[in-house]
Amino acid sequence: MKELAGRLTALDPDAGAAVRVIAYFDRLAESRAGVEALVRGAAVLAGCPARLVDPERRVHVRVEADGTRRDTETPPDPAWPSARLAPGGAATLWLERAAAAPGVVGPDHTRTESRPDDAGQARPAPDPDDAGQARPAPHPETWDGTGAVPDTRFGTATAVGTASATGTVGATGTVGTASTASTTGTASTTGTASTASTASATGAGSATGAAGAVGTADAGSARYGTGGAASVVDAVILERAAGAVRVVLDRTRGRAPADDPALVETLLDASAPEPARLHAARRLGLDPAAPVRALAPLNDRPRVVPDGVEAGPAGRLGVGPAVPVLELPGSWAAARTALRFTAEGTAQDPGPRVVYADELGGIALLAGLVAPGAEPPPDVRALETAAATAPWLPVTLHAVASTASLRAAAAQINVHHSTLQDRLAHAEHLLGWPVRTPQGRLRLQLALAMRRLARP
Amino acid sequence: MTHVPPPFDPELAAALELIKDMISPGLALDEIADARRGPGIEMLADLDLTMGGAFEVEDRQVPGPEGEPDISLLICRPTAPGTAGARPVIYHVHGGGMVIGNNRVGVDGPLAWAGALDAVVVSVEYRLAPEHPHPAPIEDVYAGLLWTADHAAELGADPERIVIAGASAGGGLCAALALLTRDRKGPQPVGQVLLCPMLDDRNDTPSAYQMAGLGVWDRTANETGWTALLGARRGGPDVPAYAAPARAEDLSGLPPAFLDVGSAETFRDEVVAYASRIWQAGGVAELHVWPGGFHGFDGFAPQAALSQSARAAHVDWLRRLLGM
Repeated sequence: MKELAGRLTALDPDAGAAVRVIAYFDRLAESRAGVEALVRGAAVLAGCPARLVDPERRVHVRVEADGTRRDTETPPDPAWPSARLAPGGAATLWLERAAAAPGVVGPDHTRTESRPDDAGQARPAPDPDDAGQARPAPHPETWDGTGAVPDTRFGTATAVGTASATGTVGATGTVGTASTASTTGTASTTGTASTASTASATGAGSATGAAGAVGTADAGSARYGTGGAASVVDAVILERAAGAVRVVLDRTRGRAPADDPALVETLLDASAPEPARLHAARRLGLDPAAPVRALAPLNDRPRVVPDGVEAGPAGRLGVGPAVPVLELPGSWAAARTALRFTAEGTAQDPGPRVVYADELGGIALLAGLVAPGAEPPPDVRALETAAATAPWLPVTLHAVASTASLRAAAAQINVHHSTLQDRLAHAEHLLGWPVRTPQGRLRLQLALAMRRLARP
Repeated sequence: MTHVPPPFDPELAAALELIKDMISPGLALDEIADARRGPGIEMLADLDLTMGGAFEVEDRQVPGPEGEPDISLLICRPTAPGTAGARPVIYHVHGGGMVIGNNRVGVDGPLAWAGALDAVVVSVEYRLAPEHPHPAPIEDVYAGLLWTADHAAELGADPERIVIAGASAGGGLCAALALLTRDRKGPQPVGQVLLCPMLDDRNDTPSAYQMAGLGVWDRTANETGWTALLGARRGGPDVPAYAAPARAEDLSGLPPAFLDVGSAETFRDEVVAYASRIWQAGGVAELHVWPGGFHGFDGFAPQAALSQSARAAHVDWLRRLLGM
């Protein structure tokens, strides 16, 4: 197909490779092709290996340019052109096109140079979410002023509204291609300038912003940008393929699988049979051999994430230790304990909003001694009494307990060092024990921790 | 009889999108000249015949049928020294509906097999209909086989291990060649590879009706090809088996056959019927029907998963046949 597409481009340059790419993926989507067929389409049309990696759903598909499936353990090169399946997601489709290598650009190939002032119109201001989704040319490449004259007929013929017929790709844009006719059949290069912008229209679709040159002098150069630029055709391939892959994965592997509460509940339940828990792990897309953590948010359902995945949006959260999936009930228990050590991070309730169980050490034992809502220990009662008379006291004591020096504590709460000294003298009087000695500081830290544990 | 066609394989359906402007399902007699000049044939024939230096390539003029012009053979010999002894020969007959093409078209498949099996490829140029109706094409093909068998030693090849192979019209001509050389007691091929072969001038199977207007080489194009070859005789009572092998009364005594065809093409039913008749005659045949395949799919879209399976099946069969 690649040879075919390439030859078609060579023989019929005004038809526009981008149009064919779009038709190709639309047709695959209509006939409900699987993920491998979509990745193969990207590889074959781009003329280089293509790779889909969705770590959350454990999908790894790599197909070579000749269409053969050949997966690999080596990590993707960040310099390759790529498109994320969804903004902010980890799932990414890559074209393994070495940035430095010009591919098979023929000797006749010349590339038109960029004109920076076109950058703004070619590509909208980048959305942070879109950064890194597609790696466009640093500057759109356009007319080089060497006498190449746009043939508007070609431009008209190949202007493409890329709104997908299937409505699955939330990107719209235009691909305008203008080309001069080659003056001889062989030697002279067809100067081609292209600008393209495909911008995210919905935020839900994969968005690519790309601009590059498509030389149509010969089949070989037709789809190779130079200097690491993603060509227009690459960008269209990535956008179309990624959009179609996303639809298929959502259909076949489930959308946002980590959110199924029943499966998570099974995983965290030590009384559930092991096969049931392993089955739940697979359904959630978790690798039974890879470490995972249980997360205990204060006001939300429990969650399970692979080790190394960020916990997500803020809010009080206890994080269990990384364990094999069958040990998740233990991680979950530890996460709930860790949650009791979290604080709102406010003036009345200073402290960390996220606590990792495996950073607590022996402090975790306090959780078994102080029951929520029960009569607090005397040092906690002293803290509460003192706080009632001095509103600054909780924040000040937390700063002292959690920083390396009094100077750092003063800086943290934005008071002068001498002011802090005055406050601490007052606090020691109210509490009845010193907080500036090593022993007193430990007693303070324990009191602050027990205060959180004693909350109802 | 339903005329609802089986769906194309998804990847093949998408590949059709890429080629639809160049390859249309139908072909009329007055379009043959344009089809010969068009980009499609050029594209299919535009190959690196040396396969990156693995073959040395030669065009040889050899005697044609008695009293007829010379014919041209494309001869591709492996450049690497052979393991030992004479090599098998893939004697290739190109496709093109009896009316278009040349001996470069489709030879990439046999070259790939020959690369895997250390074989010589000989691809015959034959005169095309309608300028040269039956029996000109099959007689040219037979003359090329005679020369190949007689000059095998010169090619470093084994005349006892000639496999005849072709796709579409080339498959039909190979089936006819197997019948002809059996009956004339000419060189006996060791096997026949009939890829989506064009076998039956009657053009009236359910698959021919189902696929009208779809894919590649539909019923209209097929009628054009057969009419070019046979003129007014097409579909009538006196069509010789050497023109349309489906007309053969006797399919016994033929070399082992490999047949394949797509489920979504005109030729599906005639190919399945031909394989069945070989078995009924006590012969050896292997038949693959590739689901959702259009005519010649593995040549047009070799990267598709189905094409990879089909091409692997070709080599597997040849390996078993040749004991390699």
